[in-house]
Amino acid sequence: MTDVAQFDRIIERYEKTEESLLAILQDFQREFHYVPEEGIRRLSEVMEVPESKIYAMGTFYKALSLTPRGRHTIKVCTGTACHLKGAPLILETLERELKVKRNGTTEDGEFTLECVNCVGACAMAPVTLVDEVYHGQTRASKVMDIVKKQVGS
Amino acid sequence: MEKVNVTIDGRTFEAVKDKCVLEVAHENGIYIPSLCYNSEVTSSGGSCRVCLVEAHQGGRMRLVTACNYPVRKGLEVKTDTPLVRRIRRGVLELLMARVPDSEVIREMAAAEGLTEVRFREDTGENERYKCIACALCTNVCAEVVGVYAISMINRGADKKPATPYLKPSDVCIGCGACAYACPTGAITLKEKDGVRRIWGKDFPMVRCSVCGTPYIPEAQVDWIVKRTGKDRSFFDKCPDHR
Repeated sequence: MTDVAQFDRIIERYEKTEESLLAILQDFQREFHYVPEEGIRRLSEVMEVPESKIYAMGTFYKALSLTPRGRHTIKVCTGTACHLKGAPLILETLERELKVKRNGTTEDGEFTLECVNCVGACAMAPVTLVDEVYHGQTRASKVMDIVKKQVGS
Repeated sequence: MEKVNVTIDGRTFEAVKDKCVLEVAHENGIYIPSLCYNSEVTSSGGSCRVCLVEAHQGGRMRLVTACNYPVRKGLEVKTDTPLVRRIRRGVLELLMARVPDSEVIREMAAAEGLTEVRFREDTGENERYKCIACALCTNVCAEVVGVYAISMINRGADKKPATPYLKPSDVCIGCGACAYACPTGAITLKEKDGVRRIWGKDFPMVRCSVCGTPYIPEAQVDWIVKRTGKDRSFFDKCPDHR
């Protein structure tokens, strides 16, 4: 993670203005599944923007993570409808099966488990998202099958 | 500079157009409490909400923050109405719940006759200490010092000033302007045996060649020399012995 070339490749695609910062951070997030500290430092050097400003952006936006995240993200909707339809049980099942706490990443770096507060698909409650694919009417007993089938392991 | 007439608490003053209500009031001996505003920092103000006053203009009344509301022709300001008092008490009560350790806010609240807080007091889980997250420190660091060592991180209830990754900063010069500007004394600056500690970093100090007092961090001298081209030997002596 210390090779600056991988960051430069992304930074080069954008104009050298402060407005480009967020787009670059999003690209970092996509490429590395988080925003690495070295990436922020390199971005600060190249764009001549104080590191503290870029770090603040990294902490502000929910779409950016400053700690490494899994290759796959599982989101369990815990909005009102999903909560009533059994989201807590789904969440507990995933925590137990994947051996990970909510908002944490598994030791092997495969999965990040997140709770979200409504994904706008309440009619499908309870909803589980695996890498942005919506799975409606999820059942706790089936949720691991869904995950395995989609991820293919 | 264009002058306008503005009325504050029934008295009319001539003031420079677009100057903020708070400054015009203070210049004329009318006290409006405030925390996050510093007249030397353009980017300060508007965040603590303690300076809320009634602004009457064009037949309408609005509650505005005196620290960033510009005076215009025909503006009438009221700083001491029952509404202003009630709102100010409310703001102070919320601040007091957030930073129960702050003497400054406690005193300000006591002046408004407020000693009890109805809300759950912050128990320090966010390590905010006395900080009200007004961003005056980060504004001073960026605008006045020009160093950008600290910034406001996180958001909502977790918002606070910090160095990147909460690590000792590469760029901080240890000047202490942030601690000096902080309205609630939330930033710790300690000095011992010629070393200043702030934001988790130690700064060796330059000693005055006459009295031997450590009076300025070496890193700050470097910064001033770099920025202004001033001769380094100027900092051999402290301001008292120059």
